[in-house]
Amino acid sequence: MSFNLANIPEHHITTDVLVIGGGSAGTMAALAARRQGLEVALVDKAGIDRSGCGCAGNDHFLAILESGPEWDTKEAFLKWYHRLTQGLVDMAIPEKVFLSRIKRMVAYLEELGIPMRLDATHNDYIRTGSFGQPGDYFINFDGRKLKPTVSAEAARAGVKFFRRINITDLLADGGRVTGAVGFDIRKGDFYTFLARATIVATGNVTRLYNNQASMPYNSWHSPYNNGGAQAMAFRAGAELKNMEFVNYTLTPVNFSASALNAIVGMGGYIVNGLGERFLFKYHEKGEKGPRWVMPWGVYWEIKEGRGPCYFDLRHLPEEAINHLLHHLLPVDKNTFLDYCEQKGVDLRKDLLEVQISEGQLPAFLGSVSGIYVTPECATTVSGLFATGACSVTVGSLSGSMCVGETAGEEAAKFIYRDKTVKPEVPKEELTARREAIYSPLKRQGGFKHCELENKLRQVMTLYVGIGRTRRGMLTALEELAKLEKLFPDVRADNLHELMRVHELRDMLLVAQLIARGALEREESRFGLSHYRGDFPTSREEWHCSLHQCLQGEQVVLKRVAPSNL
Amino acid sequence: MAILIDETKCNGCGLCDHNCPGDIIHMDAVSGKPLVVYPDECWYCGACRIDCPENCIKIIFPLISL
Repeated sequence: MSFNLANIPEHHITTDVLVIGGGSAGTMAALAARRQGLEVALVDKAGIDRSGCGCAGNDHFLAILESGPEWDTKEAFLKWYHRLTQGLVDMAIPEKVFLSRIKRMVAYLEELGIPMRLDATHNDYIRTGSFGQPGDYFINFDGRKLKPTVSAEAARAGVKFFRRINITDLLADGGRVTGAVGFDIRKGDFYTFLARATIVATGNVTRLYNNQASMPYNSWHSPYNNGGAQAMAFRAGAELKNMEFVNYTLTPVNFSASALNAIVGMGGYIVNGLGERFLFKYHEKGEKGPRWVMPWGVYWEIKEGRGPCYFDLRHLPEEAINHLLHHLLPVDKNTFLDYCEQKGVDLRKDLLEVQISEGQLPAFLGSVSGIYVTPECATTVSGLFATGACSVTVGSLSGSMCVGETAGEEAAKFIYRDKTVKPEVPKEELTARREAIYSPLKRQGGFKHCELENKLRQVMTLYVGIGRTRRGMLTALEELAKLEKLFPDVRADNLHELMRVHELRDMLLVAQLIARGALEREESRFGLSHYRGDFPTSREEWHCSLHQCLQGEQVVLKRVAPSNL
Repeated sequence: MAILIDETKCNGCGLCDHNCPGDIIHMDAVSGKPLVVYPDECWYCGACRIDCPENCIKIIFPLISL
């Protein structure tokens, strides 16, 4: 390794707003804060132009357009969203962070030249519905250029990009977050950011559970999202909520790609090994039911001997199949058709076997888990805001972009309220953070990050996965505590591995928060998401959110009443 | 394998390295061509291929994922 530990170059950046995470939410947050006339630093461990879950594109853009029908109104959306989230999301949030912005956001993307109107004949949107929506909320669009286009807009507006910087910890001064530290994953340089407001936007949490192909990076959403925001915010004292709800979906067998939304949105069926459409047994809307219903149904069909299960598109008219094959599947996941070709599946005439994906923390609409924020995207710690899939707001791509914009604007308001605050950090804290960042590079022997990570996935899959009990949760917490003790022995042989070690640190913390929440919540909800065999139904006393936060060394749990419309 | 880059067509622009969200492709300082250093950490997202000006990247799924 050419990098010299004895002489690490340092960079100290002072800015108004620091945004951690350069995906769709973070980039919009940075752009929005910059529009308010502030200095903004946008930091990501990848290249930003194609960072995040939407790096290679997206095909669905959730929108309320008020086009006439009753379902296409804010009121109808709110009713549906309340039902979908079962009161576990604050209902003051959607109006503020999403509904008030979405029409303008769609118009903005059209101004930028993103193809939103796939119906060329009528110059109109093609919209489809899924997951229990009262109407067709998803604009089918070609989002392959979306991320680089929005990134270029942010750069043009004067947002300063810091690429390939892995942020490891937030900095605090007197109870207020004042920035963050990290390192350059290619050069090794140490970075300190001091900021008047900090926005975390690192997305969902993956790589916590095994999948059927035993390929941890073959995940539903980005495998490079590892709970950095949730872990850093928690360590800084912020409240997280409902961490016990782990999300599953249906994906093509052994290839954990998004596809379900496109397939059921276009009228595709899900059938079992007997050729039956079975989902109506589990939900009155069948394939049009909430997402959790589909893995739940497949789980029981397979368990009771009626597997395997499949996507069945053979009944779709040619026009619908063409739309799926040309406009949706390869846009949602760029390599989807490569997979079909290499597997030898022709969706026009073959069934496509499905699997239940590995579990992950949210990245989609209706998620109730993550960093607790106010409608202004503020966390419970002063100076710290959260946006996108790491926060409990409105998920999905369009949600993330609108919530990102909200966070950027609100962080700016926060700064303008008291422009005299000068972000500082004690020198001793910086020295300690620097030491902790690089220490895995100095270790000899010990474990490699993947040894602990594999064990973590084994524990989570066995005890905190599908089907949970009190005894299982206690076992998981014991095993995770053992891994926590081993963590100081994990070594990195180069800077890339050093990044993975820091990801492991955050995943270990998030795993414990999930297990602790799952132990506490003595009920079942959202299908496989939290299925306690010892409490198999939803219980009145648990019709509430569960918050966790750190006070000193102690984790404090509290129940928060559900939100009503 | 995961990502197969046709070196005879590659112009060494480095966009695949720049775009990869997982830090798994690194430009080789000597050859000036991209190396897939961590194929086991590939998400199969196609971000490396999508902007390739020479269209010289193939995504190869391992047997276990088919």
